[in-house]
This record gives sequence, C-alpha cells and structure tokens, in this order.
Amino acid sequence: MRRAGRFVFAQLVVVMVGWAALRGGSNAATVGYIFLVTILAVALWTDLATSLVSSLVATLFYNYNFLPPLHTFTISDPSNWIALTTFFSASVVVTRLVVRARSLAESAEARRREVEALYALSVDLFTATNRVGALGEATTRVLTNAGASGGGLVLFGISPYDQKVISWSGSKEEEIEDLIAGSGRHDRPVEFPAAHGRDVYLPLNIGGKVIGVLAARGTKATLSALESAATLVALAVERERFLAETAHMQALEEGDALKTSLLRAVSHDLATPLTAVALQIERLRSLVDGDALGVVHDIAEHTGRLRRRIENLLAMARLEARSVMPHPEPTPAADLFRFAREHLPLVAQHRRLEIQVAADCPEIFVDPSLALEILANLIENAHQAAPAGTPIELSAFRHPLEHDRVRLEIADHGPGLPVELPSDTSRRGLGLEIARSLASASGGQVTLANRPGGGAIARIDLPAALLPMVAEEVPA
Amino acid sequence: MTARILVVDDDEGIRKELEQHLGLHGFDVTTASDGVDGLVQFAIAHPDLVLSDLAMPRADGFWLIQRIREKNATPILVLSVRGGDVDKVRALDLGADDFVVKPFSTPELLARVRAQLRRAGAPQRMQLEFPDLIIDVERHKVTQGEREVRLTPTEFAILELLARRAGRPVSFDEIVANVWNGAPGTSNDAVRVHVGALRRKLEPDSSNPQYIVTEPWIGYRFIAEPV
Repeated sequence: MRRAGRFVFAQLVVVMVGWAALRGGSNAATVGYIFLVTILAVALWTDLATSLVSSLVATLFYNYNFLPPLHTFTISDPSNWIALTTFFSASVVVTRLVVRARSLAESAEARRREVEALYALSVDLFTATNRVGALGEATTRVLTNAGASGGGLVLFGISPYDQKVISWSGSKEEEIEDLIAGSGRHDRPVEFPAAHGRDVYLPLNIGGKVIGVLAARGTKATLSALESAATLVALAVERERFLAETAHMQALEEGDALKTSLLRAVSHDLATPLTAVALQIERLRSLVDGDALGVVHDIAEHTGRLRRRIENLLAMARLEARSVMPHPEPTPAADLFRFAREHLPLVAQHRRLEIQVAADCPEIFVDPSLALEILANLIENAHQAAPAGTPIELSAFRHPLEHDRVRLEIADHGPGLPVELPSDTSRRGLGLEIARSLASASGGQVTLANRPGGGAIARIDLPAALLPMVAEEVPA
Repeated sequence: MTARILVVDDDEGIRKELEQHLGLHGFDVTTASDGVDGLVQFAIAHPDLVLSDLAMPRADGFWLIQRIREKNATPILVLSVRGGDVDKVRALDLGADDFVVKPFSTPELLARVRAQLRRAGAPQRMQLEFPDLIIDVERHKVTQGEREVRLTPTEFAILELLARRAGRPVSFDEIVANVWNGAPGTSNDAVRVHVGALRRKLEPDSSNPQYIVTEPWIGYRFIAEPV
C-alpha cells in the first residue's frame, strides 16, 4: 500500500511541477532542466519502477505542453524529436544511476551491520566463554543477529547421528535431526524456504572434521554472513573443548604432583625412624645376652619385614603415580643376586643362598631397584615356605627358547605348590602380587612351578641387554 | 689424630644414634639439624667428613653440598632413601662423594666413612694391594695369588681407576674421562662391555663378585678393602 501511495504521489509531483512551470511561463529548455531535477528527486526517494514511470510522465507532459503543435502528443519539428528523446534518455540514466548508487549504499550498510555483529560475537566468544553455558548464549546471540526465529547448536559425538543439543529455541520437528545429520555428513550448508525468510543448516568444520551443526530457522541473513558466524561458533566449540581438556590435564598433573610429594614425604618419614630403630637394635644386641638376645633377634626380624613391606608398597605406589617410570639399564645378574643378599641379611643369616650365574648369561635390561624388589619378594616367599636349614638356589641363564631374554630362578626345598592348585594361583600373597606387578612393569613376567624332586621354583623372565660389539684388544 | 665428622639430619633420633655409634668407633662428632645449621657448623668445626641427609627443612642436603663444594673438597657422604635414585644421582652430580641408603647398617656406614677418609689422605701409590690381588701400576701387571692376570690396556686402566678409589662409587663419566680421555662418542655401554670382560678375567667366582660391582645408574664400585 505504501509503495502504491508513493507511486501515485511521485507522478502527482511531476505533474504539479510541470503545471507550475507552465503557469510561470517558463520556456521549453528551462522546463527540461526542472523536470530532470524532479526526476532526480523522485529516484532518490522511490524505487526504479516509480522513477521510470515518472520519467515517462514528464516526457509526455513536456511534449503535450511545450513542444508544438501544443496540446497534442504529436511533434511537427524533427529537432524537437531529438530534444524529447534526449530528455527521456537523460532522465532514465539519472534514475538508474541514483537507484543503483542507493542500493549499493544500502548493501554496504547491511554488510557493515553484519561485520559489526560478527565482531561483537567474536569478542563475546573469546573473552567471556571460560564458563559453562557460554556456548548456548553465544548461539542465541548469533541467531538473534541473523534475525532467526528459531534454531540452535547441535554437536556430534562419534557420528553425525550421535547428536547432542547444546541449545535450541523454537520447535524441533523430527526430520530436523536428519537435516542436521545430512548437512554434517556432506559438510555443506543446507537451505530451505520457510514462512519468513529461510531455514539454514550450517556445518561447523574444524580442521577438516565436522563437529556439529548450527541451525538458523526463518532467517533473512545472507549465507556468507551465516557461514562466518558458523566458523566463529565452531572455533568457540573447539576452544571450549580445549579449555576443558587443559583443565583436566592440569587437574591430573596436580594430582600427580601431590602424589609424588606425598610419596617423597612418606618414604622419608618412614625410612628415618626405621633407621633409628635398626641402629638401636644393633646397639641393643651388644648390650644383652641369653634369652634377651633371642628377643632382640625377633625384633630385628620383624622390623626387617616391616621395612620390606613399606619398601614394596612405596615401589608400587611410585609406579602407579608414575612419579618414577622404570629406568632400565644393563645389569649383571650376579650383581642383582648380590644386592638381594645384602638386602635380606636375616635370610642370608639363616640359610645358604647358592648362586649360579651361567657363563654365557647376558646382562639384564631392567631397572635395578625394581629387579631387586622382585627378587627380594620371591626369596622371602621361598624363605617362609622352605624348612629351616635348606638352601635357596638362585640361578641366572639365557632363556632356553627366547634368546633375547634372561631367566632368573629361585628354587627352594619347601613343600612345593599344592596339588589341587598347581597353577600360579597358589601361594598368593602380597609378595607374589608385588613381584608380578613389578615384573610386568619391567617388561617381564613371573611364573611358579614345582621342581622335580620337591620344592617350588619361581621364574622371572626379563629382557636381556644387547651390548655393542667392541673391538678386541690384545692383552698387554 | 681423631677424624671429625659433621652429621646433618633433621631427625633427632638419627642424629643421636649416629653420634653415639660414630663416637664409639673413635670419631669426633658434631651435629646440625638442617642445611643452614650444617653450613655454620662446617665453618666452625672444619670436619674431615660430612654425613648429610637430603630432605631437610630450611635448606636441604643439595643446597648444603653446593655451598660446601664452592670452596671445599671435604668428603661428603649422603644419606638417601631407597627409591630416591634420582636424588642420589643428583647429589653425586653436585659433588657428593658417596651415599648410604636408609635404613643402613652400622658396618656398612663405617666402611663407607673409612673409604672416604682414606681417600682424603692417600698418597699416589704405584702398587695397589688387596686380598689376593696386587696391581702393579708401573709395570702394568696384575697378580692374583700366584697367577698373572693378562689384561688389555683399557681393562687395566679401568681396574687402576676403580682400585685407586676403592670403596667409593666411580661414575661412567669419570671412567670415560680417565680411561678414554673423554673421547666423544664413548658410550656407557662400551664401558659396560670392557668392565664385563675385566670381571670375567678377574673374578674367581662370576656368580659372586669379590672386586667390582655395578652401582645402579651411576657406574661401578671396587668393593675389596685395601691391605
């Protein structure tokens, strides 16, 4: 209606101006200029069609009232044909130029508004999104800016059919899920005409992977503006994921640091009083005799066991907290046996430890302190199982089948493994459990078997160290 | 002359026990409860040896080792906890001479203390004697009982270095620096191969080493006591 009103008003203005010029007695040339200015004004205020009609009306009015024969639409003088044609062409050109300039200005203004909105959105997303729910708010803001009547943000899980709605406004019909999945699967925007404007589904692509879809329903915004907004939202989603991951990693790191410092404190705080106790027991031994010596001996044995348990638990905890990764290095088997013997003075006092290392036994590639824990636990188990006075035999040799492994054996003269449980599940106990875990952390394994002729054998298979060949030297 | 030992530990029980034990064995003992106190006592008492814990309040053992090493070559023995291998290596790198792992036995501690004190006053001897083993440095000759052990030049150089520092840990770096003159590209594994050969020639029972044992993550230790 408004457009029709404007159209009629524009034509009226042209006629009125012409009539005024006629009454004022202006000559043909002056009236031509007045009409041109009028057309210009009409073009500025109305659309192309209206101003083209105004040009035609002005041309007819000019011909009728100013070009002889007057009061007819005919022209007698050919030169007047030229004048009339020139006038009409000029007014059409003016009209087109003006309308085009105006539409360019309008689209520039629209662009400016879009850029402004995107800028505000990006500032919003990247300055204030370190909190939960920010993505939903950002989506709402994008949709408002796009003049959308509904829509929202949907993120994909393992596939485009695994959809998680982050935010949604307006109705969400069943087929929308398929549209979203389709847009995501093909990584292309999908558009449909709607009651007002159109429905647009925009894939959110980060590094070649579609992570979700932004849906804007009933929007009139251009596709490029919507795509820019979708890119921003995708970046924001990625950023939120990154922040969540960082927070998670940070929590893990802090947890690990806490465990490590706790372990360090505990190992120090337990080792120190135990050292004092061990020193006192040694002094006590030189002060007493008779029955009391036996009591002191018992105390020493129990303290020794307590110390071993604490060391075991700390070794396990350290591995678990990853505060200490196994640090393997080539270690001769004879040295490991020697460490174990020194480490278990009470066992060594009570029975013979017979050590046999094969001449061709390679060095073992293992963390020496872990290997010591494994050995010490299995030797203690054997010590507890075997009758007093019988020796424990420790041997090391190249694995008979796998030549890149070394086998350590701890053989006792005890009752062996129970018949009903000949497998490894018998004799369980903390010691064996710990030996198993530490062996597997060292790339090896522990197995138990009965030895022919009675007793049990614990076998530890560990990787062999591959030492380089070194040029032979001639003895001096 | 009585050797003076400075014991630095934040645990009073340990300080008291060590003071009594070392006192019983004829040492003159001074104690301190942390790194700062330890440095003060070091300046006052001029000890012949420092025995220090690592984890301590105020200033820890690492700090103390650094401060002492700025001006002094006094032997430093570190008390470390089992599993604290990283700490142990770091302490040695900073200039500590040896370590004892808690909980330790008195004989072990005394052996380490004596080995360190021996170093401090030892002249450069040309003949090193151990039970059943004589190393004649001048003539490059090693005799075990009646038998002469034939060693390659590298093996002999390693043996001499380890034997001169008997009772103390010798790191791979020290071995490479002394035996190979720090030749670049000499790996720890090359050292291991030569030491392995040396041990096969030297040890009467390969299952039960009498002279050279590995010191995990550090290097080797010559364990026989000099005659």
